[in-house]
Amino acid sequence: MRLMLTLALGLTLVCPLAVAQLAPEQISVETMPAPGNNWFIAKSGNGARIFDAETGTMLGQLSLSDWTPAVTKWDPRKEFYAAESYFARGVHGQRTDLVTIYDYDNLSPVAEVIIPNHMARLAVRGHLALLNNGRHLVVHNMNPGHSVSIVDVQDRVFVYEISTPGCAVNMPVGEKDFLQICGDGTLQLIQLDLSGFEENRVRSEVFFSVQDDAVFDRVARTANGWLLVTHAGQLFEVSTAGSTINIGEGWNIPDAEGWRPGGRSEFLSVLQDKALLYIAMHEGGVDTHHERGTEIWVIDLATHRLLRRLEMEEPVATLIVTQEQNPKLIVGAFGDGGTLVYDALTFRLERSIVAPGAQMFEDF
Amino acid sequence: MKIDKLIDSGYYWIDDAARRSALSLARKLSRRNFLSRLGMMLAGAAAFPLLPVSRSFAQSAVQEIGDPATCEYWRYCAMSGSLCACCGGSFSSCPPGTQPSPISWVGTCRNPVDGRDYLMSYNDCCGKSSCSRCGCHRTERDKPVYYNGNSSTVYWCFGVEDTSYNCTVSLVLGYSDE
Repeated sequence: MRLMLTLALGLTLVCPLAVAQLAPEQISVETMPAPGNNWFIAKSGNGARIFDAETGTMLGQLSLSDWTPAVTKWDPRKEFYAAESYFARGVHGQRTDLVTIYDYDNLSPVAEVIIPNHMARLAVRGHLALLNNGRHLVVHNMNPGHSVSIVDVQDRVFVYEISTPGCAVNMPVGEKDFLQICGDGTLQLIQLDLSGFEENRVRSEVFFSVQDDAVFDRVARTANGWLLVTHAGQLFEVSTAGSTINIGEGWNIPDAEGWRPGGRSEFLSVLQDKALLYIAMHEGGVDTHHERGTEIWVIDLATHRLLRRLEMEEPVATLIVTQEQNPKLIVGAFGDGGTLVYDALTFRLERSIVAPGAQMFEDF
Repeated sequence: MKIDKLIDSGYYWIDDAARRSALSLARKLSRRNFLSRLGMMLAGAAAFPLLPVSRSFAQSAVQEIGDPATCEYWRYCAMSGSLCACCGGSFSSCPPGTQPSPISWVGTCRNPVDGRDYLMSYNDCCGKSSCSRCGCHRTERDKPVYYNGNSSTVYWCFGVEDTSYNCTVSLVLGYSDE
């Protein structure tokens, strides 16, 4: 009995000592590591999560407004840019539209530029375009007429609003120019001067009919310009040279009888250095352009050949291919399967990532 | 002061003229005459719907079929959004406290009752958070956002005080007899 008591007393004295020897942990906050290969941004309704497609790890998050059309970045300044819209009382009260600038290290807002409250509040990638000079950001407006707000993200100033009646989907070309798709079946080229003011405006010839077979408002950047696709599956490669708009001869998606491209978000992407198109396809007819793809087709833009048909278990919500040496095809769906990562060249499914509410991807 | 007097005399003149004309009519017409004319008016009103003009009005009343709380309802052929019929409104009325957008996108839907094509206006009800019930997205004759008058993708809360989106209604604007 005496032994037991001694032991119990000894333990009560020893245990606190053992705890005291363990230093209490301190909370800390990460900063973003240097960018790695095959990182991508998964934009949801009110945020943007950054992932590493090679490991499936999430690295951080930007908080965005519910109405943000897209988010983009500019590596030399290590910044992200998002167009945002807020009401003072959540869903009512004073509306404020702005461009918010986020830093890289903390993914936190570091500056903002107030813009006219005309922003088109739709998740369309072409509603936000950072021009190739890395300085002028084009934010699309709909009020309900089309216009764009030009923001100098380097000097953090709103430059001015340009009216672009009947034209939307802003595609950067040249140094400080952008193309738009217009409802009369043409393209419009707007060229800015050094300060961001409109210097020149050019209209192409008519090359499609919006009534008979409209060009989608979802587009893909190519090595030299942009790739457009019509509801029926005709492809047009477009580019500019100075103030000249070049529209390539249209050609049909090969072997696509009974099949059409489509989706309600960004459903096509081009691996630029290999000129490979990845596009969501579904079986259907006229007016099925918002149906989500049941397959992803891989098409060689140089030879116009269909290289591969990837069957998907869940319809495709959105997709992107990363522009890397070892590129990944990132596919979003709204089902339980999560965001899928494929090797973009071997088409092997590598992993699934939980990216809640992912509606659009952005290459990192 | 003079102006006030002039106004007073003007009122007096109107009153006096009305009184004199009423007395004059009373002297000329009998009570039976009044009753006979009233009877003619009532009979005429009853016959009015039989006239051709009236019949054409009667035909313009849209005949409905189906459940407006389902996406398959005939009016929703170019609809995109939450159906206000599921959110405290109806296919043509906004829920309490929301603000109807005066600006809309349009579509053309065939009514299965009469086989006619109707021009539809899809108006968003605005100023409250999204209802998020009875989501409906149909794309008959839908066009991309750059052709936004026929684009169901666009939020159409324009011209209202609070431009947040709640739900969408469908109004008939007319029909085509092609």
